[in-house]
Amino acid sequence: MRNRLAILIAILLAAWVAASAKEKDAPPLYKTAEAKHFTQTEGVELSPAFSDYFYAELRNELKKSKLAGDVVGEGEAVDDADAKDSIVIVGTITEYKKGNVVTSSLIGFGVGLRSLKMDADVQRRSDKQNLCTMHIHVKIEPRWDEKMMAKFAAQQVVKDMKKELKPQGQ
Amino acid sequence: MFFPKEYLASCSSVLLVCAFGASLLADEPKPKPENTISVQLTEPVPPQKFAIPPKFWITDITDRSGNPQPLLVYKDRGGIFLDRQPTLIVREALEQSLKAANLLATEANSADLTLRIYLFHFGLAEGSALDFFGKVEFTAIVKNAKTGESQEVKAAGTSIAKSAMKKKNLQKNVEEDIEESLKDAIRNFLRGQQMKDTVSELMKNADVVPATPAPATPPQPKQ
Repeated sequence: MRNRLAILIAILLAAWVAASAKEKDAPPLYKTAEAKHFTQTEGVELSPAFSDYFYAELRNELKKSKLAGDVVGEGEAVDDADAKDSIVIVGTITEYKKGNVVTSSLIGFGVGLRSLKMDADVQRRSDKQNLCTMHIHVKIEPRWDEKMMAKFAAQQVVKDMKKELKPQGQ
Repeated sequence: MFFPKEYLASCSSVLLVCAFGASLLADEPKPKPENTISVQLTEPVPPQKFAIPPKFWITDITDRSGNPQPLLVYKDRGGIFLDRQPTLIVREALEQSLKAANLLATEANSADLTLRIYLFHFGLAEGSALDFFGKVEFTAIVKNAKTGESQEVKAAGTSIAKSAMKKKNLQKNVEEDIEESLKDAIRNFLRGQQMKDTVSELMKNADVVPATPAPATPPQPKQ
């Protein structure tokens, strides 16, 4: 009985190691990825620093995700040969609500939270073909800084990208 | 010995102001060897390939950040200081990268294109409380030395690094963060599409000498 259990654990361990090694060794789906500064629709009152910080966070998350071999800066030139295997992320912040601390504290259940909505598109660099469209909605406590919202939004964009793009690449 | 009430009141208020000023001065961080970091490129950034490789020369770098203490990059916990002026760090990084790619002229007279840099941001920017947000932003006026024609090229680099509890780790993270954003900005400048277009445009007109070259207007900082 003990031997069987040991063998089972060893097999499970080997399978887990092999799966993690495969994930690590898997080549990136795209050669380069470029994130652009997201535009804001009329009526969205976010500080200019938010846009810069969100851009930096998005690039940081893209690097971590290993979706692309290289995360290039905005406006960087990419070799023509690599353009068809490269992506560009563009987007627009469509809605921002500051939230209300009093309502959030008194009522709770998600009422009065600070909220941000954005639409993002992932395009192929060579022909500008849309590979996927994402609608992001992030909610945080109204006491928290808007930079936290940028952090969560960037994480959500990359998470959705991974989900949408993985089946196409495989 | 008696003093009038008004005299005592004014004396005590002066003392209070002095004490407040002294406490403020005591809180002001001072540069010491243990809180000074050295920011530099770990390796040169390879520029893009130009159709006609020009020779660059950096004429001047002006700090337009409006920062009264450009060496102080982090104010809390005793402060973190740079060992050199940001303008010098950017100049060295650019020269190092251009030299490695054989794109740096040996002297000003032998250069095809001259660069005048306006530095708008160097160091940490306002980020979330959980991490450091490094940002380097500059604009270069690329000028054809022969024709006098010039164009503006913008570059920006960003980096996010984790915060830390220990002062030693905090200092290390800040240093790495600024280095990464500097590298990113230099890369953005040397490999940018804007730079490619500017160089091809200015080098194309190299043989055509205009009657009166237009003076380059320095860019204004972002509002």
